[in-house]
Amino acid sequence: MSARPPTTPPAASDAPSPAASPAAERAITRKAPTVRLRGLRAFYGDRERLKGIDLDFEANQVTAVIGPSGCGKSTLIRCINRMHEEVPGARSEGRVLLDDLNLYDPAIDVIAVRRTVGMVFQRPNPFPTMSIFDNVAAGPRLSGTPKKQLPEIVERALRDAGLWDEVKDRLRAPAHALSGGQQQRLCIARSLAVDPLVLLLDEPCSALDPTATLKIEDLLGELKSRVTIVIVTHNMQQAARVADRTAFLLDGELIEVGPTAAIFTNPRDRRTEDYVTGKFG
Amino acid sequence: MTREELQIRLEGREGHLRRRRAVNLAMEGLSTAAAVVAVGVLAIVIGSVIVKGAGAFGPDLFLHSEVPFGEKGGGVANAIVGTALLIAMASVCAVPIGLLVAIYAHEFSGGRVAFALRFVLDVLNGVPTIVTGIFVFSLLVVGSGQTAFAGALALAIIMLPIVARAAQEVLALVPQAIREGGLALGLSRWKVLLRIVLPSAAGGLLTGALLAVARVAGETAPLLFTCSVFAQGISLNPAHAVASLPLRIFQLAEGNSPEEHDEAWAAALLLILFVLALNLLARYLYARTRSRVGQ
Repeated sequence: MSARPPTTPPAASDAPSPAASPAAERAITRKAPTVRLRGLRAFYGDRERLKGIDLDFEANQVTAVIGPSGCGKSTLIRCINRMHEEVPGARSEGRVLLDDLNLYDPAIDVIAVRRTVGMVFQRPNPFPTMSIFDNVAAGPRLSGTPKKQLPEIVERALRDAGLWDEVKDRLRAPAHALSGGQQQRLCIARSLAVDPLVLLLDEPCSALDPTATLKIEDLLGELKSRVTIVIVTHNMQQAARVADRTAFLLDGELIEVGPTAAIFTNPRDRRTEDYVTGKFG
Repeated sequence: MTREELQIRLEGREGHLRRRRAVNLAMEGLSTAAAVVAVGVLAIVIGSVIVKGAGAFGPDLFLHSEVPFGEKGGGVANAIVGTALLIAMASVCAVPIGLLVAIYAHEFSGGRVAFALRFVLDVLNGVPTIVTGIFVFSLLVVGSGQTAFAGALALAIIMLPIVARAAQEVLALVPQAIREGGLALGLSRWKVLLRIVLPSAAGGLLTGALLAVARVAGETAPLLFTCSVFAQGISLNPAHAVASLPLRIFQLAEGNSPEEHDEAWAAALLLILFVLALNLLARYLYARTRSRVGQ
């Protein structure tokens, strides 16, 4: 895992700055992979939920996926860490590439995919029987990391998730004692503890109040220095605040993708314009 | 991260992942084997009953009652009718009471009472059926003789906790939001229950009742004391003991002619088919309820 300097200038700098300025741009500390979807189709039984998506999530950037309920946003990101196939009757076709490696290749280990592509869910889901420490340690511990490395891993993950100062004196407290926003940052810390290269977030703030939401948004701006981030959101202000690029999905099809500012101020497609100006959705 | 590093990581070629895959495979094999054993036991039981019971399984079994000792032929018509009567009487008794118990526990009582009720029902469910039989024997049979009514009461006591517990689970499946939707319209609790909650749970409630019927259809022990000295003909009189399939199987199996043994197997096949059919129907209804309440 070399921290070699990026060969290209940080891609974030060519994106026009979104409406509200995202958290301070950081230098890329680790080149994360680009996620490329190629002809991605997803099905639940006979119902086709994604109808052939070609889309790139640029390395070390935050890409927001927006669209009305039921357009396939969640399905799309669940295909990236192969959680989609956990749903009975669900299947997918097409390719999901990390740089040029197809995650659906038979040689690829599905468990390893999920360690490489982390996921944070809509509702904070800390493991109820575990303490704060144990929640963050769960991933590395249950996959055989030596015990004496755990405190260091946990501290780093909690610092990266911006939660360390709030919980360092009560690591043994049950995770449910935390507030909703803290629980969600705990879940982010839990994902980071297995050192993913890509982080997927499925409406991570929809159950949180505005203050907690802002904290998580700031966090994403910092984390992209070493992971590629895809965030599904219903909240268009949030997309404008955090995302370098935004993709608009409708009925399982990609309508438009581009720099966030362009999507919100000068969309090419009429349907995108109608959606971002609130005419439907 | 270079391409090679990424590839090694994604293919899980690090040592601990290989070990994990081996353990994973072993555990998957073990649990598959356990599942095969469980299914295998059922297959062997049903298979042997079919093989041994098919020979005597025919119209005669249904059309004739048992014959006096020493005569050839006969069937289990009187036992079929008797079992039907016992189950019908027990269901009339236990199903409404069981449903009301569940409705009270889930919709009207507080959390602590509901918890206590659940516990009591579980204990009642665990009472050995022979004990239930002795209890009904001492209550109704001593001094007045065996009756179909006494047998049905014993079966009803066994059914009650099954119906009530199943109904509680089903009522818990109905989302709270549906109740609140009704209450927010200003409907009374009783109306909400009757018109909104119970219809969405109907299939599941019926499932619980059917499973209880399937369970008691084969009960033998509680009938030994209460309804076992029966006449050879068809009887629908609840004031007299009536024949029943499980007891008749027991008697036939104890008999000494091969014909009687064949008939016992055929009657066993009939009973197992009946119970199987009830279980399939119950599963279907339960699946329908679940999809209707959106679970």
